Amino acid sequence: MLSDQALVKRVAREDDEAFRSLYDRYADRVFRYAITLLRNQHLAEEAAQETMVAVWKSAGRFEGRSKVSTWIFGIARNKAFDLARREKRGDRTPEINLVSPDPAPALLKEEQVTGALGTLPEAQREVVYLTFYEGLSYGEISRLLGIPEGTVKSRMFHAKRKLVEVLT
Amino acid sequence: MNACERIRELMPWYVNGTLSHEEMRDVTAHLAGCEACSEELALTLRLKVSLDDDLRGLPKLPETVAKKVQAAIGGRSIAQIDVGSFLLGFSFGARVQKSGVPVQGDLKLLGRKIQLFKVGKEE
Repeated sequence: MLSDQALVKRVAREDDEAFRSLYDRYADRVFRYAITLLRNQHLAEEAAQETMVAVWKSAGRFEGRSKVSTWIFGIARNKAFDLARREKRGDRTPEINLVSPDPAPALLKEEQVTGALGTLPEAQREVVYLTFYEGLSYGEISRLLGIPEGTVKSRMFHAKRKLVEVLT
Repeated sequence: MNACERIRELMPWYVNGTLSHEEMRDVTAHLAGCEACSEELALTLRLKVSLDDDLRGLPKLPETVAKKVQAAIGGRSIAQIDVGSFLLGFSFGARVQKSGVPVQGDLKLLGRKIQLFKVGKEE
């Protein structure tokens, strides 16, 4: 099985089979990261879509200085926050769905991050997600979020305190 | 910051296995002689298990997104059907593109791909 780095190199040469492998490895993880950040399934789907398109377009600029996962999550983070900003300003054009959807399932799609994780503020939720679900080191999280390592540890410390309250 | 505080700060990354060798060694050595921090480790592990349950409840990315990505990158194939078994040493795969027309069939034998047919030009 090819490494992530080898796949990105091939994607940079427009190898669609390599992109499919990368998509299979990352699209769902990017979606879950986005939904953890945004708590909105529709926006998270768009973030995942835009992220994977950006991976295709910018693979040639990936220099291999970070892990592929950190690079992709960095793109996903920017896309998610950009979509959230546009949504807040009201200048995002929702995708036109020709089949009129039943509004009930759409309503259920909001606020999908439930349970203990959903009780945390966004900044703590993100650190907890990246640590326990994606298995990133505190150094990787620090670089991805552009914050000092001490801040990563402090967010985790406060998140743990809150989670203990909720879960015990 | 005392020794216990430093160890507890590192605990989540001790659990996910990403500490440096030196940090891993320090935490392990400290845990051997500190009951309070061992309890904190057990608590961190319980939190992780509870969170895993929450995260497993998150929805999966709908398959329609793959089609939208495919369209956005110029109709390149990101959908593939494979029949066969890696364990048996062979599989047959057909790729489709934006147009929905099968354009290529491959036979994979013990990891080697042999192209069987190709219909039309790839977009």
